[in-house]
Amino acid sequence: MTVAVAVEPLACTRGVAFGYPLPGGRRREVLTSVDLSLPRGSLLAIVGTNGSGKTTLLRLLAGVLTPDAGEVEFGGQPLAEWRRVDLARRVAVLPQQLDLPVGFRVAELVEMGRAPHARSLFGSTDADEQAVARALSDADALDLADRFADELSGGERQRVLVAMALAQEPELLLMDEPTLHLDLAHQVALLSAIRRLQAQRGLTVVAVLHDLNLAAAFAPRIVVLHHGAVAADGPPQEVLTPQLVQEVFGVAVLEARTGTGNRHLAVDFDG
Amino acid sequence: MRAAAAAAPIIARRPLGRGGLALGIGAMLLVAALMAAVAAGSVGVGIGETAAILGRRLLGLPIPRTWPLSAETIIVELRLPRVLTAMLVGGGLAMAGTVFQALLRNPMADPYIIGTAAGASLGAITGLLAPILLPALAIGAGTVWLGLGAVQVLAFAGGLGTVLLVYSIARQGGQVPVVTLLLTGYAVSSILAAGVALLMFLSGRALGAIFGWLMGSLAGATWPGLAFSAPILAVSFGLLLLRWRRLNVLLLGDTAAAHLGIDVEREKLTLTVLATLGTSAAVAISGTIGFVGLVVPHVLRLAVGPDHRLLLPASVLYGAALLTLADLGARLAGGIPVGIVTALIGAPFFLWLLRRSRAVRPVITA
Amino acid sequence: MAPRLRSPLLPLVLLALVLGACASPSVSPSISAPASAAPSQPRHVVFPVTLTDDTGRVVTLTARPERIVSLAPSNTEIVCALGACDRLVGVTDFDDYPAEVAGIPKVVIGAQVDVEKVVAANPDLIIAAGNELTPSTVITRLANLGYPVLVLYPRDLAAVEGDITLVGNALDAAGLAATVVADMQVRIAAVQAALAGADRPRTFYEVGLFGGSIYTAGADSFLASLISLAGGDPITGDSLSTAIQLEALVAADPQLILLGDAAYDPSVTPASVGVRAGWGAMSAVSSDRILVMADDEVITRPGPRIVDGLEALARAIHPELFP
Repeated sequence: MTVAVAVEPLACTRGVAFGYPLPGGRRREVLTSVDLSLPRGSLLAIVGTNGSGKTTLLRLLAGVLTPDAGEVEFGGQPLAEWRRVDLARRVAVLPQQLDLPVGFRVAELVEMGRAPHARSLFGSTDADEQAVARALSDADALDLADRFADELSGGERQRVLVAMALAQEPELLLMDEPTLHLDLAHQVALLSAIRRLQAQRGLTVVAVLHDLNLAAAFAPRIVVLHHGAVAADGPPQEVLTPQLVQEVFGVAVLEARTGTGNRHLAVDFDG
Repeated sequence: MRAAAAAAPIIARRPLGRGGLALGIGAMLLVAALMAAVAAGSVGVGIGETAAILGRRLLGLPIPRTWPLSAETIIVELRLPRVLTAMLVGGGLAMAGTVFQALLRNPMADPYIIGTAAGASLGAITGLLAPILLPALAIGAGTVWLGLGAVQVLAFAGGLGTVLLVYSIARQGGQVPVVTLLLTGYAVSSILAAGVALLMFLSGRALGAIFGWLMGSLAGATWPGLAFSAPILAVSFGLLLLRWRRLNVLLLGDTAAAHLGIDVEREKLTLTVLATLGTSAAVAISGTIGFVGLVVPHVLRLAVGPDHRLLLPASVLYGAALLTLADLGARLAGGIPVGIVTALIGAPFFLWLLRRSRAVRPVITA
Repeated sequence: MAPRLRSPLLPLVLLALVLGACASPSVSPSISAPASAAPSQPRHVVFPVTLTDDTGRVVTLTARPERIVSLAPSNTEIVCALGACDRLVGVTDFDDYPAEVAGIPKVVIGAQVDVEKVVAANPDLIIAAGNELTPSTVITRLANLGYPVLVLYPRDLAAVEGDITLVGNALDAAGLAATVVADMQVRIAAVQAALAGADRPRTFYEVGLFGGSIYTAGADSFLASLISLAGGDPITGDSLSTAIQLEALVAADPQLILLGDAAYDPSVTPASVGVRAGWGAMSAVSSDRILVMADDEVITRPGPRIVDGLEALARAIHPELFP
């Protein structure tokens, strides 16, 4: 007899709302009420229009922002009860873009990802060095270790950012538009690597993506944000329907099937 | 995993090679500067005599006194405190400059940028002028408090108080954005500088003394002054050196630093207070000496890299050595303001270094 | 070979040069043991003596000072007038009177007191100047090092006489001081007698024009009191900054302009004053009563020759009474 065991999600948000303060005391309301549950080891893509609050949601999950209403929990505890440093040991953010200070070698930049774990006053422990090595290897950036940031191409820098996030050895990896500046080959390479790592390290991954088809191919679960709340949450074939795309993005698309049976959404320019 | 294990030696820390050498040279340079500066001055005291005096007074060695008392006074009461003050002030200003350049992510930042100089100047000049403008306050001329006169106490308080004021003005909704801090510092400094200018206009005879203070000088170095500022600077050094990792991470930006577990606002405040304590303690005993705090961090960053684990101690060592040697030069040149010497030595060297180095953009956006 | 970035070789080479240069005794004051003085006249046993200087500092001298350092030209002149020129071991580079001081080591260079040189001269008495001419920080420094420091700060002619008496007591030359003061008083009385009943022309003494401001005698200043004593009605500037606005000067309408700055600045002449914008309206300019004060030095130096300055002023203000 199998017993269904309810497993606590790694992280979740309940009724979370957030607005950015504007000059003059007003607020720009971005999220109105978001309920999201992240089971451990899951892989999910968040999509939505510009300004729908995708980045804000990631920041709330990372504990960098405090919600105006509702709760964010990690590991069963509200984020407010977590020490910043302890959370940083478990949650890593791969930002849309990052200013890399000139003069550091890539290996040293990746080592900054060890900051939340740092134990020794002036040096780095063996565990730190191994984590850095592993992160560089997993991010396919080993050959970049001795290079300086300003010598790298866009794709190479992206790999460095991935390595920096992986060096934190997180349980939850939050990626904000990681494919934004990459060509198709690099997009595929990056997302494949993330899927591989998710399987290998048991990572929980949340990726904000703008390309609906890529998101559908990459993640088994899609969350659509619209008007500050979750408009749909589920497998791509159920969520990314032409009706939803029309409603959320205001664009008419046609559903197509490829020869191998994969679904594909095509923009209907002439329709 | 095998690949990672093979990679470990490649990534293993190497900075002790190049950086350690730089620190070693810096320490030797500092010791040499110390010896040269104590042994030389506008009055000639032989090297042997100098060593004997120091041995007898500092180490308590039973050396018979074969030198005139005036030589002993010169070495122990005039030169030694002056040289030690130069070391402390040079190291303190260089360290504060390094911290502010990282904190504000601005290559033009110096220790005075968010108001320390303006506040300390206003305090010091008030102290200089009060006995003249209000003769009833002339008692202040000789009063000593914690080893300092009124001028030094007001300078210290003015520097520290102004930065705290700027910080609280720049705070918006619990956050202090870096650009706001910079601009607020600039605005408040301008207001205080106008006050300074007004006082200078009213100063009459004391204008020379005021000008001398503004240019900065180590001529007024005393043991009591050192006793006040040295502990503050030492604490500032120690606590800031320990924060090298956080300074590195702050270079990634406030958001990324927060993602890496740093309480960014608290860290900015802590760094500001520690660096300002050191700067104010330095300015209180030497006036506003410029150039050291801005250029030494830049030169060292070009030489040893931006990693603060090396950059901070290197700044202290080379800043101390530079100011000690510059003060020696200033003394030998007839007592000119030390700021002139640091600029004349340092600026051309910095330009040369700049031309030889890679581009000086502080960040690349990835 | 281009020097390496991290190389300290260059500064070390400079260091070696510096050390080499300083290893030999320098030409300027070297350390010397105190010389014993052979008195040429019977000693008056008046020591130890306690004196109060012009700023209220109380100084005790335990023995007759034999090694005197003067930090201002006026102080040097006082010491020499009291016959103690041979006891001076440190003076300023501005000192030019009397001629004997030319060979004495300079401890004040370009208005900067070199404390090391003062200490090296091993003085037993230092005479400083008040009103920040000797910075009060330096005075405090020297006092804290244990040297007796007398600060002279005379506000008027009578106070100069007081200073000469004070220094006379300090140097065991009270008799000579009394003689000098008496001579001064005779000459002053003579000037006063000649001026009896004479009018008082409004007199403007130009100290200098710097940075767009006009500097003159400050209100209640020494110079103002001297001009008064010399028979003029002084036009004064701000008591602190000693500056006067051109409008105020025009409103005061000087009848006589004395060019103190012409003594050291050849570009200042009566003709150049006449063409200055706004100055033409003054009575002094229209009646051409503008004089070069070559004696500016003795007018502004509060020492024994101040009476020379008084006489020079009186001659300038009332040439008909002092041929």
